[in-house]
Amino acid sequence: MTYFSLLTVNGLVIGLIYALMAAGLTLVFSVLKVVNFGHGSLYMMGGYASYYAIGLLGVPPIAGVIVAMVALFLFGVVFERLVLAPMYSDKVERKDEYAIIVTFGLTILLTNLGLVVFGPFSKSPPAFLQGTLIAGPLILPYDRLIAAVIAVVILSGLSWFLARTSLGQALDAVSQSRDSAAVIGINPKRMYTIAFGLGSALAGGAGALIAPIFALSPNMGELPGVQAFIIIVLGGMGSVGGSIIGGILLGIVQGLGVGFLPDPNRALAYTQAFGALLLVIVLLLRPTGLFGRAHMRLE
Amino acid sequence: MHGTFRRSHGLQALLLLAAIAAPVVAGPYWVHVGALAWYYALLAASWALLAGYAGQFSFAHVAFAALGGYGSALLTLRLGLPLALSIPLTVILAMVFGALMGALVLRLSGPYLALFTLAIAEIFRLMLVAEENVTRGSLGLEVPGLFPGGSDVPYYYLGLALVVLALLAMNGLLATRVGLFLRAIREDEHAAQASGVNTTLHKIIVFVITAGIAALAGIYYGHFVGILSPNMVILPEMGLVIAMAVIGIESLPGAVAGAVIVYALSEILRDYGEWRFVLLGLALILVQRFAQNGLFPVVERYLDRRVAPHAKSPFEVANVPNVEGDYAKPS
Repeated sequence: MTYFSLLTVNGLVIGLIYALMAAGLTLVFSVLKVVNFGHGSLYMMGGYASYYAIGLLGVPPIAGVIVAMVALFLFGVVFERLVLAPMYSDKVERKDEYAIIVTFGLTILLTNLGLVVFGPFSKSPPAFLQGTLIAGPLILPYDRLIAAVIAVVILSGLSWFLARTSLGQALDAVSQSRDSAAVIGINPKRMYTIAFGLGSALAGGAGALIAPIFALSPNMGELPGVQAFIIIVLGGMGSVGGSIIGGILLGIVQGLGVGFLPDPNRALAYTQAFGALLLVIVLLLRPTGLFGRAHMRLE
Repeated sequence: MHGTFRRSHGLQALLLLAAIAAPVVAGPYWVHVGALAWYYALLAASWALLAGYAGQFSFAHVAFAALGGYGSALLTLRLGLPLALSIPLTVILAMVFGALMGALVLRLSGPYLALFTLAIAEIFRLMLVAEENVTRGSLGLEVPGLFPGGSDVPYYYLGLALVVLALLAMNGLLATRVGLFLRAIREDEHAAQASGVNTTLHKIIVFVITAGIAALAGIYYGHFVGILSPNMVILPEMGLVIAMAVIGIESLPGAVAGAVIVYALSEILRDYGEWRFVLLGLALILVQRFAQNGLFPVVERYLDRRVAPHAKSPFEVANVPNVEGDYAKPS
């Protein structure tokens, strides 16, 4: 019993990090209609940005998360302006393919740049806080607790931003209809840039939060990247709330799956395969996802 | 127009001759590199048909190669079938899976199709990792060679023959109505359907053919390299295939040339370690950003421009604007 409650709590923490990543991916998808295949590498960059901010600039670990988010926001804005922007003109014929290839190219570029610049060996930034919380049967390192709390804060902030601020509502308007939004005076191109920047910042924040829990490595983004795809399909393409719920669910299911299956090698492989299988089934049966919004329907 | 046609055919014949003669000049190391490049060339060319011509942007192509490699190896090793039986059986199996995949993704397009195929590839890879009793998991499955002796030369020619045959078969297909239909589906599926194209059938056909070629590539790879591992299906491998096809695209031989160039470059730049993949990622982004039809049309246009001022005969001068017009966007 204790073992499983432990697995559930650990799954919940990882799920929150997943949710953070998936929320960024969803935001980009809903506004730009682009699946960012480079999202996992932005997550990796966030982890390293925080690591070097802490190591070289001497900022406290929690501020490292903020540095990572700001750095990745700027990176996202620049990448969107330089590479994705031509997509909105007639210069690009097949927009879907274009977006897949350039974002996938970004993954190849950043992952290998990471290998060259940061080295292939894993690095571990200092903990947010040493020690472990022991409350009855529950044992939770403070690191994970703090990561979970920060993730909740960021996700709540994001939800508030999207629902209550005029900028957030403008993003939502563009996600629902680019043309109608333009008619009422919202500049869609500006919203694309902001959405991509925010999406990158969320990936970066997730990477910075996971860094002290697991170690950093240049290809750390591959697995969570795929998980994030699963979550956004599961949670409904374009629904931020759905991706938060989807992320937490997937984290818990995978956490428990590892505990239930006897053979650890198979357990690890099949819990990951389970997520991919979910994605396949959802895409086939309910392409709008479990919490999908009607206007995000498969086109 | 006619001039370009003839020139590209002449160029292809020349390149083929060069490929045939290469092992005589090149040392064993480069023959080995060349033989591996044929594996990627097969994958890149068939993926170019699938994604470039038919618009089915699949991430599962390397999974079909692994299906071929593992299928043939396991049928031989575990069931004791002779190669003459296990190879065709595996290709047929891959084509059946290709048909299944084609049927499943009928309603999906663009990023959804990419995600779907990515997930299928990931499930297949994880199965290869997990089922150690059958596949030996990450340890790798040892596969017997095809030819006695340690030389790579027979493999090189086998690979080359496979590439030429695959190109002839695919170009033959593209020259028929099917090729036209596939392009119509890529440009506008609904319009194609409205014009009476059986989109369902043709989408399945293209998945079946490309799955078969990918499986053949995987079988060739397995017997040549002698060991198969689930790493055949990892995303960076797919990235390599996509980069090869995208950098050369516009034609299937272009994808083959792209594969050979990218693979040879990655060998030449081996001393620079991961920098070469940084370069690959950058090249992929830049080519898409500035030359969406691949590098070869750009190079050709550049050559034409260089030739044009010196052209004296009226035929060539008259030809130049025509050649330019060839590359104008069809829309």
